[in-house]
Amino acid sequence: MTKKHGFLLFVMAILMATLVACGGNGDEDANGDDTADTNGDDEEVEERVLELSHLWPEGSSPQHHEIVSGIIEEFEADNPGITIETDIYGNEQYRENLSVISAANELPDVGMTWGGGFIEPYAEGEMFTPLDDLVTDDFVPGTVDAFAVDGQTYALPLELNIAPVYYNTEMFEDHGLEAPETLDDLKHIVETLVDNDITPATLGNREPWTGSMWYMYLADRIGGPDVLTEAINREGSFEHDALIEAAAELQELTDMDAFINGFNGLGNDEAKGYFINEQAAMYMMGTWDLPEWTTSEDNPQEFKDKIDYFKFPTVDGGDGDIDSFVGGPGVGLYVSEDSDMQEEAKAFVSHFVQRWGELSVEEAGVIPATAVDTDGMDLPDMYIDVLNDLNEATNLTLYADVQMGQDTEDVHLDMIQALMAGEVTPEEFAENHEEALAQEED
Amino acid sequence: MTLLSTVKTKQNDSSGLKRLGMGIMYLILVGVAVFQLYPLLWLFFFSLKGNREIFGQSPFALPEDWLWENYQRVWTVGNMDTYFFNSVFITVTAVVLTLLFASLATFAIMRMKWKFSGIALLFIMVGYMIPIHTALVPLFSMFLRVGLLDNHLSIILVYIAYHLPLTVMILSGFYSQLSREIEEAAIVDGASIHRIFFQITLPMTTPVLSTTMIINMIYNWNEFVFANTFLSSDSLRTLTVGIQSFVGQYLTDWGAIGATLVISIVPVLVAYLFLSNRIVEGVAAGSVKG
Amino acid sequence: MDKVMSNKWVIFLYLLPATLMIGVLVYIPIAVSGYFGLFDWDGVGAMNFIGLQNYTELLTDSTFWFSARNSFYLALFSTLALVVYLGVALVLSSKVKGRELFRKIYLIPMLLSSVAIAQLWIRVYDPNNGFLNTFLRNIGFDNPPAWLAERDTVLFAIFVAIVWQFAGFYIIIYTAALKGISEELVEAAEIDGASPLQIATRIKVPLISGVIKTTVVLAIVGSLKYFDLIWVMTGGGPNGASEVLASYMYKEAFNRNNFGYGSAIGFALLILALLTTVVIQKITKSKESQ
Repeated sequence: MTKKHGFLLFVMAILMATLVACGGNGDEDANGDDTADTNGDDEEVEERVLELSHLWPEGSSPQHHEIVSGIIEEFEADNPGITIETDIYGNEQYRENLSVISAANELPDVGMTWGGGFIEPYAEGEMFTPLDDLVTDDFVPGTVDAFAVDGQTYALPLELNIAPVYYNTEMFEDHGLEAPETLDDLKHIVETLVDNDITPATLGNREPWTGSMWYMYLADRIGGPDVLTEAINREGSFEHDALIEAAAELQELTDMDAFINGFNGLGNDEAKGYFINEQAAMYMMGTWDLPEWTTSEDNPQEFKDKIDYFKFPTVDGGDGDIDSFVGGPGVGLYVSEDSDMQEEAKAFVSHFVQRWGELSVEEAGVIPATAVDTDGMDLPDMYIDVLNDLNEATNLTLYADVQMGQDTEDVHLDMIQALMAGEVTPEEFAENHEEALAQEED
Repeated sequence: MTLLSTVKTKQNDSSGLKRLGMGIMYLILVGVAVFQLYPLLWLFFFSLKGNREIFGQSPFALPEDWLWENYQRVWTVGNMDTYFFNSVFITVTAVVLTLLFASLATFAIMRMKWKFSGIALLFIMVGYMIPIHTALVPLFSMFLRVGLLDNHLSIILVYIAYHLPLTVMILSGFYSQLSREIEEAAIVDGASIHRIFFQITLPMTTPVLSTTMIINMIYNWNEFVFANTFLSSDSLRTLTVGIQSFVGQYLTDWGAIGATLVISIVPVLVAYLFLSNRIVEGVAAGSVKG
Repeated sequence: MDKVMSNKWVIFLYLLPATLMIGVLVYIPIAVSGYFGLFDWDGVGAMNFIGLQNYTELLTDSTFWFSARNSFYLALFSTLALVVYLGVALVLSSKVKGRELFRKIYLIPMLLSSVAIAQLWIRVYDPNNGFLNTFLRNIGFDNPPAWLAERDTVLFAIFVAIVWQFAGFYIIIYTAALKGISEELVEAAEIDGASPLQIATRIKVPLISGVIKTTVVLAIVGSLKYFDLIWVMTGGGPNGASEVLASYMYKEAFNRNNFGYGSAIGFALLILALLTTVVIQKITKSKESQ
């Protein structure tokens, strides 16, 4: 019997061997192309490898990528014996990957993270190491707080954005409109534009953090800068009158057709397309979009010339002021608790933050989380205006979805969609939030 | 479809009606064909536009300026040549082995006589039911432990294991229609079981092998989740993962994504056209059924 | 003869590669994820053993049941779509001129990756500039729905996209199966005066019943664990209206860091799929025996 099957066994053995060999080939490729492969870890003697993963690939963010490469080269030159090896991912890919590698306990020495509720589990799970000794006065007040958990800082912020309302000045002028100062002005603008068959504002609420920013501003202007934050950190209640009223105002704007038809089904990129193609007059978005209105080569100059921005208007009788912003830092750098080169990693993070702060505005159009000295920089006017507004800002409220823990965040985002679709009343909206927040507290 | 068939049944009544029926049917067939071909054209236009044109303008519109530089950017910045080779290597290896292993298993289950064949089929079928995201973290830990992370072998193994159930299920549907006469004749002639499998059964299943080959090829070629999780070196990544490098933190380069999609569809399109001819040719070899 | 076909060694050898790979790469992760389901674990910190609490929580979790309902709707919808696919395959296997060309064209969308298909259908459903609403406005509907933004339409809209996405997959399987039917049988029926409709329903369909049964299982199980287009086109929204089991599981495990609970959902999904398959097998078996 065995004789007969010998042939087949032989065939299978060859197949398996080929398979393994193929895999081996792949490995060789990796080593060939990339001298500092992870495999090098085992046999290291003097050469030490610091792993960095970031989310600025050359394809989508060429300027960011270049600055980072430059920073790495500088650091390697200053620290002989250390090689920095990078894994680069796209944005979504990075998020997905981070949850898997952290579940398997395989974080790189240095990586990027988001703040607020996102960083909490990593801080509490002791995956990231505290970086308090690296915090300097250079950081814009409030930015580091977004990465603090229980009084310790677990990452250093790299960017700072606020969310103004961009508008098409031509469309406003054609209908005798000016940038609004109060919510009533804004409503007047909405009415006028709707009467003239123009979509007042575009909104990609399939990604409800966009609608959330509108809600946050209303809450801030009605109840002052602390109401929402206190509701989230449980010093206050979400059923505060101001928070319910803000929901009612947002619903009223929706009922007035302030937002584009079908906003709950549009993604942010699609929504922005309507603004860029001048099919909607207003668009609220973070200042990370400034390049779109200033330096972008994709958008025609005559369009860019028409775009200006205004601060979200105040509400008569409300407690908020116009220089209070919704915004916050985007990504920050963390150092892994398990890193066997923590000192080097920390030194690298410090160096990164400093150099990034010096280079990022001018070369990549990114407003860093560290103070910017605009002297001698050649920046578009809109950047100068935003940087001035940041200097004069009385308050910066971190995006609500980022502030919240991840369970509440989902309730919040769902509720924003439901509120704007008229599926829940402002009271139910607040009640649902309160319930989720109370539950999370337990 | 019932409409079509009713029209066809009345063909016998009169030749005028028949001609009308055929006319309507062809009209529908051509209409559907246009509907099915249009996405390729749409994707091609998409790949020659920038974000401004892609979003907010009519999807029918021709590109204003034909942005061929999208392709240039993808090819130079995007490392496409490496990704392309990796995709081909992984896809071909996984497809060939999946078909072989699946055919062996299906033969043992459907053609050979033993008590637990039903259980064996069920064992394999259950593999089709697991949502891949559930398996992600356990698989990652396993590969980490045996040192197969960031290695093409892990991806190939996973592609084979996760497409075997589907392939065996499709094959077993066909094996159940296959006549046993020839196999039985061969046994009488004293042929060995391996000979029966390789020289009789396998050739008889050419049409379905081509079918499963097409399906496996497309699935492996377009697979994203596993490739994204298990491969981290840029030099090992596949085309689908490569697309992600155009998804920015705040700004996504959709034109470049379109160009990558067009580039990546060409090889499968060619392979598909080639293989789908094999389905027809296979009839000659397998026409003993019925 | 039976001796050759029931050789235990051969059976073992032929089944080994497939079962070994599925056992190691599919079953172990299934078991591990079922095990994760016994813990309160955020995927990062310490794992707290909580017994069956995640699973009992599932029973009263309204979102879970709502997602399950949507997944079952999709399964139903996909199964009904099989009739259309089969109809197309039957027309393309009858003596229509140019059938090979039509067949090739009809299957082309199958080659597109989910990314491309999602982008295409987002354009189809765009409330203002989309293909569908532009068309509807042109034929006189002033206020067409904003398909993906409304609770009443979102599920149906995505289902249509999914059914379109899988058309090629099933048509190619049916076509290959129909190729296996001998010409003589069909010709004999034609001589007896059978209409094309009769040939299709009375001869061809019964002959490929094994394959049809397989596709029913594939469609149902595939629908229960379906994820891709839903995730990209709506993310389960608006306000959870298009949530399905796989998207809910993904959200819990990867977005909300409830890794234990997410694993429990994944495991429950597997059980549901398994139960459904067993029920289908029972139904089809009892029908066959009648």
